[in-house]
This record gives sequence, C-alpha cells and structure tokens, in this order.
Amino acid sequence: MENSNSIILKNVTKKFRIYHERRNSVYEYLTSLSDKRKSIDILTVLNDISFSVKKGEMLGIIGFNGSGKTTLLKVMGGIYVPDSGDVITSGRLTPFLELGTGFNGELTARDNIIIYGVILGFTKKQIKEKIESIAKFAELERFLDTKLKNFSTGMNTRLAFSTAMQVDPDILLVDEILAVGDISFQEKSFNAFMEFKRKGKTIIFVSHAIDQMRDICDNVLWLHEGIVKSYGKPQKVIEEYKEFAAKGNG
Amino acid sequence: MTNSFFKEIWERRSLLMLLAFNDVKLRYRNSILGFLWSFLEPLLMLTVLYFVFTNIIKSAVPNYPIYLLLGLIFWYMFQRATSMGQTSLLDRSGMIQKVYFRREIIVLSACLTAFIMMAFEFGAFAIFVVAFRFVPPITIVLLPALLVVLFILSVGISLFLSVMTVYFRDLKFIWQIFLQAMFFVCPIIYQLNLFPEYIKNILQINPLVTILDTAHNLVLNGTLPTPKATFYMFASTAIIFIVGYVVFRVKSKRLIEEL
Repeated sequence: MENSNSIILKNVTKKFRIYHERRNSVYEYLTSLSDKRKSIDILTVLNDISFSVKKGEMLGIIGFNGSGKTTLLKVMGGIYVPDSGDVITSGRLTPFLELGTGFNGELTARDNIIIYGVILGFTKKQIKEKIESIAKFAELERFLDTKLKNFSTGMNTRLAFSTAMQVDPDILLVDEILAVGDISFQEKSFNAFMEFKRKGKTIIFVSHAIDQMRDICDNVLWLHEGIVKSYGKPQKVIEEYKEFAAKGNG
Repeated sequence: MTNSFFKEIWERRSLLMLLAFNDVKLRYRNSILGFLWSFLEPLLMLTVLYFVFTNIIKSAVPNYPIYLLLGLIFWYMFQRATSMGQTSLLDRSGMIQKVYFRREIIVLSACLTAFIMMAFEFGAFAIFVVAFRFVPPITIVLLPALLVVLFILSVGISLFLSVMTVYFRDLKFIWQIFLQAMFFVCPIIYQLNLFPEYIKNILQINPLVTILDTAHNLVLNGTLPTPKATFYMFASTAIIFIVGYVVFRVKSKRLIEEL
C-alpha cells in the first residue's frame, strides 16, 4: 500500500434494504413464506465511490441532507460493511460521529469520562490520568462528582467534547460536532481541532459550515445522491455546490 | 482470522472488562441490598427444590443440598449468560452504531457479567460446604477448568443467538421457553441414573448435561469423567463455539443497519 495515503476507498458501494413490511420475528418470517409480494426495496446509498486521503490531509465532505455523508463516514469507520469495494486504512482511526457515546445519567461525570474514554480506545489507567485535564478543558472541575443527569445539555456536550479531544488517533472522522457550546467554547474547541491538523493528523469531516470549510480544508468532496459529484480544491467545489444549490431552489 | 480475533479482543480488554463489571455494578445497584436481592431467586429455588425433593419425593442423592446448589449455580450461569448475551447487541445498539470495535466484545462482556455473578455465588457455596461439614475430594481442583468449558459453551450459544435475535426479535421468547424446558432435562434436581440407559444416552447429547455430570463427580464423588465423556464435552463445546462464531461473523455484516 502507498505509504502516503491514510484512507483509500475503491469502488465502494453500500446498499440499504428498505422494508415495506418489516419482518423481524420468526413468526412473521414463516407466515410470509407463502406471500409472494416483494417486501424489500434496495436503496443504493453509496454508489461506486473511489477516492483517497493523504496522510495529514484535511478533507471536507459536503452535500444535501440524505446524500450519504454520514453513511460514507460510517463505512470509513468500519461501522458499516460495504456491499462491494474496499476500504483500506492505515493507522489508528477514531470516529466522532456522536459525542458522549455510552454516557449514563446515573453515573458521575468522572465515571462517564472513564466509560467514554475506554469506548474511544483508552485503557482505564490512561483515561484516569487525564480526568483532571479533561475537566479543566470542559470548565467543569467543580462538577466531577455530580451525576450526569443533573448536567445541562451544554455541560454534557462540553464534557463529551473534552474527553473526545484527548484521543490521539492518526485519522479522525468528524460528523458536525464543532458547533458545540457557547461562542467562547466553540472557539476553544475549534482551536483544539486545528491542533490536530498541526500535528499532521488526517481529518475527514462532514459539515454544513461551508465557509469555514473553505478556510481550513485541503480538499472538498461533494456527495450527491450517493455519487461523488465533484472533488478538488475547496474554492472550486464550494462554488459549484453553491451554484447547484441556488439553481435547485429556483 | 482467528489470530486477529484474539488480538483485537486483547487490545480492547479494557472495554470488555469495563462493560462486564459495569453491568454487575448496575445489577447490584443499591449496594448491599441489591447484592442480596440477586441471590434471592437462586436461594428461593434452592429452598423449594430442597423441600420438595427431601420431604416429598425423598431423593436418594447423597449430600443432596450441595448437589442441588452446585447444579443450580452452573445452571444460572448458563441461563444468565445466554439470556444477557442474546439481547446484548440490542441493548447496546447505541454504542455499536457509533464506534467500531469487534462486536464480539459486546456478547463476551455479557457472558462475563454472568460469570462474575457466578463467582459471587460460589462464595455462598463455600459457606454451604462448611455449614454441612462436607469435605470435598481432591478432584475439586479441576472445577475451574470445567467452568472455562461452561463459559466457552455459553459464549458460543450467545454469539449465535445475539446476532439472530437482531433479525428475529421473538427468538428472545423462544429461547426463554427453551431454557425452561432444558432445566428439567438436565441433572440438576435429580441424578442421571434415574433414567434407563437409552434415555440417558439421548439426554447426554446436550453438552450441558455432561458438564453438570462432571461437576457433580468432581465435587461430590471424587471421580473423573471417562475419556469418552471428556472428549465429547470438549468437542461439542468447540463445535458449538465455532458454529456460533462463524454465524456471528457472517450475519454481523449487516448488523448495524438492522438494529
């Protein structure tokens, strides 16, 4: 494999089954055997997608709602297995598809940091050493032993974001998580994010903040109805995208 | 293939342990009270069965309370592990939809939770043994090895059930009924030699029967299983595990979108 690439996608196709009548019990399955009506439609969410991301590159993915952006991230993150094609990754990959996976309201902030950290790939010992600095970044030092159910939504996301930022992967997949917290925390989190870029991490992120994307991305990929509509320098792709969107809206 | 399986599990052992122990903690939520509560069901079962089989049916099994308790502990381990393992993927769907790790870890952690609970119950068992002034034979040292076999068997069945239950949700109820029936064809409340030889042979197809039989022999009679029985126990457990693993691998490809 070429050393300079972090992720290579080769002709990746992902199809979903759309059930008209969901048959998810043995009983329904048996009674449906005599029923000849077609009950499944196939929806091709990603259609023959190929591209590669270089080490240290920041790739933005844009597209309308339902164009397959999140599915693409999930395929890259190994969560979905593609129907055909290959996804080759080199290096440790961490997906940030949702903040606070595994958070439990009945447990304290401290326990939740440990659980979330371990889910993200730390050992328990590693994450325990980082608890203080995570709480500091989240500005929640005083609430470490408070149960999470008493946190506000903002506090919750700040805690999750600060924990997530501790990971040290080679590749980051990010799904619109930068718009977190108030303005000052947003700036702080944006800086933390850019720190990853400076460290030479490969970052792939989905966002609707296309103007921000123009400033920070090396390349932009525009996904439309499961195919790559355009790929290249941010300036060029975003212009095309804006033009297309304007036309579409009449 | 198998190599990377063990490697990936080993790399995420922190996650495996955390999930397993957190579940134990959650079950014993209100500290000491919850802890006792979880013993109540097996204890009640033990009391009722003991009463029925010593006073009404007059069981001829020597050291019957210990015989009964040992079988029940094994049984509860198997029942809990497969029941929790079966629904584990559904219970943790939120997590596995967002982060990638070997999905087997989820099932494994559920079985591990049952295993940890069993460890507590063996604590109670020890008290029982002392209370009845029973001196176990030396063969009891082989019991941990037998527990490993029981664990692998439970994991194999759980792997199969967990992924199939995502596709067929009512398997959950079917398995519960199956378990209830299975309880009565295992040597837990009675001894296998109660039956004529041909029925005994049929029942022994179930690897759990051999495991229970062996447990009783090791702890109470001081005898080792025959080479034939030992071979059958290992072989059938291995086959069930491999089948469960392969089905899991194949069926888990579309797992996330089916959740």
